Amino acid sequence: MPAPIRVLTAVPICDGHDSAINTINLEFIRHGIEVVYLGYHRYATDMVRAAIQEDVKALGISSYNGGHVEFFSEVARLLKKQGADYIRVFGGGGGTITGKDDVIMRRNGVDKIFFAGTSLGDMVDFVHKNYGGSHKAFRGGKPTADMKLARKLTEIEDAYAGKKAPKKKRAAKSKAKLGKTRVFGFTGPGGAGKTTLIDELVLRLLHREPKARIAILSHDPSVVGAGALLGDRATMINSQNERVFMRSMATRGQAGGLSPATEDCLVLLAESGFDYVIIETVGTGQEAMPFQSGLVQKTVLVMNPDYGSRLQLQKIVMLDLADIVVVNKSDQERARTASSEISRRLDQNKKSQLLVSTVANRHRDPGVDELCDLLTEE
Amino acid sequence: MSKLGNVVEAVEKYNQHVLDEVKRARTDEEFGQEMLDRWNDIKGRIKMGAAPTGLKLPRLALPEIDEPGEITRYLLGEGLPGEFPYTAGAYREMYLEPLRELEAGSYGRDGKNGKNGHAKNGSNGKNAAKVAVPKPIEVEEPTRLFSGLGLAEDTNKRFHFLTGHQRSARLSTAFDGPTLYGIDSDAEGVFGKIGEGGLAIDTYEDMIRLYDGFDMGSPAFSASMTISGPAPIIMAMYIAAAKKRFGAKVVPNLRGTIQADIFKEVQAQNETIFPTEASLRFLCDMIEWTSAEMPRWYPVSISGYHIGEAGSTPVQQAAYTVSNGFAYAEMLAARGIPVDQFAPRLSFFLDCGLDVEYIALSRVSRRIWAIGMRDVFGAGPKGQMFKLHTQTSGRSLVAAEFKNNLTRTAAELMLAYMNGTNSCHSNSADEPFTTPSEEWIRLAAHGQAILLDESGIFKHTMNMLSGSPGMKAVERAVEEGMLEEFRQIEAFGGVLPAIEHRYQRSQIQNAAHRYEEQIYNGTRPIIALTKYNDMKDEMPEVKMVRTPKAKKQLQVDRLAKFKKRNAAKAERALDKLTEVVESGKNCFPTLIETVEVCSLGQITGRLQEVVGHFRPMV
Repeated sequence: MPAPIRVLTAVPICDGHDSAINTINLEFIRHGIEVVYLGYHRYATDMVRAAIQEDVKALGISSYNGGHVEFFSEVARLLKKQGADYIRVFGGGGGTITGKDDVIMRRNGVDKIFFAGTSLGDMVDFVHKNYGGSHKAFRGGKPTADMKLARKLTEIEDAYAGKKAPKKKRAAKSKAKLGKTRVFGFTGPGGAGKTTLIDELVLRLLHREPKARIAILSHDPSVVGAGALLGDRATMINSQNERVFMRSMATRGQAGGLSPATEDCLVLLAESGFDYVIIETVGTGQEAMPFQSGLVQKTVLVMNPDYGSRLQLQKIVMLDLADIVVVNKSDQERARTASSEISRRLDQNKKSQLLVSTVANRHRDPGVDELCDLLTEE
Repeated sequence: MSKLGNVVEAVEKYNQHVLDEVKRARTDEEFGQEMLDRWNDIKGRIKMGAAPTGLKLPRLALPEIDEPGEITRYLLGEGLPGEFPYTAGAYREMYLEPLRELEAGSYGRDGKNGKNGHAKNGSNGKNAAKVAVPKPIEVEEPTRLFSGLGLAEDTNKRFHFLTGHQRSARLSTAFDGPTLYGIDSDAEGVFGKIGEGGLAIDTYEDMIRLYDGFDMGSPAFSASMTISGPAPIIMAMYIAAAKKRFGAKVVPNLRGTIQADIFKEVQAQNETIFPTEASLRFLCDMIEWTSAEMPRWYPVSISGYHIGEAGSTPVQQAAYTVSNGFAYAEMLAARGIPVDQFAPRLSFFLDCGLDVEYIALSRVSRRIWAIGMRDVFGAGPKGQMFKLHTQTSGRSLVAAEFKNNLTRTAAELMLAYMNGTNSCHSNSADEPFTTPSEEWIRLAAHGQAILLDESGIFKHTMNMLSGSPGMKAVERAVEEGMLEEFRQIEAFGGVLPAIEHRYQRSQIQNAAHRYEEQIYNGTRPIIALTKYNDMKDEMPEVKMVRTPKAKKQLQVDRLAKFKKRNAAKAERALDKLTEVVESGKNCFPTLIETVEVCSLGQITGRLQEVVGHFRPMV
């Protein structure tokens, strides 16, 4: 089975119209396309960086607030400037884009503009027809480091989508090559706030270490051969940064929070000279224990205070394994009880695991500061 | 339980109360007679008028009932226009043309000029005028057309064009993308967006240009500003501009509305710039200040329009809007602001599309609001009134054979006025492809005038189209649907917790997707698009309204000059603002000073440093 087509979708800066793109995303996903959704109110530079890092086949832009001729053209120009115009640009914006605009935009490097009244089916067909098939080789020039790394990740992912899974790389071997790279793994149930927490952590790392480079490997669920919405980028406002390399992966049918290709991708990232590599699982169940390769140096389990009865805690395997347990949303009523219950649960393990309370969506949350200290201390 | 749970209980209780009273009117002879007397009294006061053909018509139509139980059901369950629970209308006479002669003791206007075409009414017509009013009373038109393009002076010109022939200037201002996101025109990557889809405002000097030539303190002037994320900053600019032109004494006279609705931004429209909690704090600061200092200003327009346009069902739209309203009321009351100070200053804004629910959506919203505000919040009559602006649905318009949009909008206008909206915007037919051009704006405005002034549908008789069996059936279904939504929201712990769980967003997104599917599977035929679409479909070539590059550059240059001129003062002003924000005190008075030397983007940037950025929800 060929690997699903990956596209990136987004809405331009100063535009919050996401109704159309949400609907289109859903339709794409239902038809086997993996959609990396960057969100609304996004800069051209952020779109281009994300498209390159995600190594998508195409970038779909939905624009309703005007200024589309300038915006689409700028995106196409930035891609071309880096030699990344193997990533194609398409989009639409209801009736605000005229026939004349369309001509100019296509001349400036845009593949296709969908006008008002185009059916969702036609858009899906267009993507399948034009962006299926193998990845185009870099043409001429010198591909940037992001481009090369992104392509290698694609090759790993696609290899696992093939009939025969490749032989797993030996993580232990590359452990020696890690050098100063620190690898953190974040896991926990859906809705606990992992993505927000990582984004806040990235903000602090970028601020504290003005030269540090960070890689993020983020996962969202999918079944074999089906599409997926890879939506973490949309809420990660601090991680759209020149010093951050982020890759979104669908699990493509594997249970346990990660994708079949994750470990090899992690090895590659760990060897690529980043100061920090952060890996985020999908929302996991009680039995999940995702970070077994040994490459992850510190594992963080992010919990929601609302996990049910104390008995449930006994069943969560990661409570035995995590280095740090975070009770996020600790401004909720139940948080205090949760912290004390989890604390007692950790005491049973006698493994000097750490417990931190955070409110990741609070500005300058001291709990996240503390987590950042704990992760970065030698 | 949040107050929303109390509202559900109050509505259920009120409905039961109506049923009990109906029963009592039928069994308790004395009470039945009392209701019958009241009914006959009301009927006796109804004034007669005449159509131009000479046809005699009552100013108020009532159902032909003479049985005490049904009379009670009508008076308590629906109410007369302008009376609790306001189902038929927030005011008594709404769009009726003024009577040329008044008879004593009639159910008619009391001879005083009221705002928005509504006389100040005495309850039950008891204080009806005894004096004859010889001439038609000059009242404001309900027409309020949304506009904004290019730079402040361009929009100013459009405002004069739109209102030149009107008795009153009721302006409605649309801002461009950068302004809506609190960004300056000189920010990275926004050049193409300057003056597109609305006008660019960077400084309070732009605001001075925007309303140039209008008497901002006049009772015949009111301005509406459609902006939410940075609303307190824009409001401060409006006040600073008015003070600069007319002196500080103008402030209490300022009339108008600023949208400032953070809840619907987070639920649907995505134009919010600070974390929700901080946004709500800035909003409450503004409401607290304006409701005390500017008694004629509406500092928040609780909006369902964008929820509807984002794809919700009509019931979801009304339910989320009205529940958002109750959530604001709960927050403001918790701040210790008296309910009768803030409640009369809350106003609402709904979408009106072609779905059948719109036959009664506003009627039901008005009723639920009145019951909740009276019985849960203890508001007086002015705070019970659901004051409504309606806009016809932009989403219902299509590019294919776009002139059909005139018909769509006309049908929606009928529904909006049947629902007793207090003001209305009718969309231009060319809206699916462009910022409306003058030709189509004019037709859109005329559409309203044809309905209200030319046709006899609304100007002779109140209740002309109220209360048909079909309308009542829709009312019941809509009310039950709205209460069910309230219960769902309450199950999360109220509006804010439901937002955090993405409840409203995901409901709206699901509805939007279903709507699209229905268009293409034929459940929702769209004429000339999916049905009768045999015309060769070509892109209509309409004259586009775009902002030329030179104008965009002019805006950037002006901003640079402002920043340079105020460079020395800006930093100090921002530091002072920071201090007040961090102290937790009401920061709005300081904001009015800050805007004199700082741009929108400078203020937004500084506030984001202090309180953080909004993290989008997907």
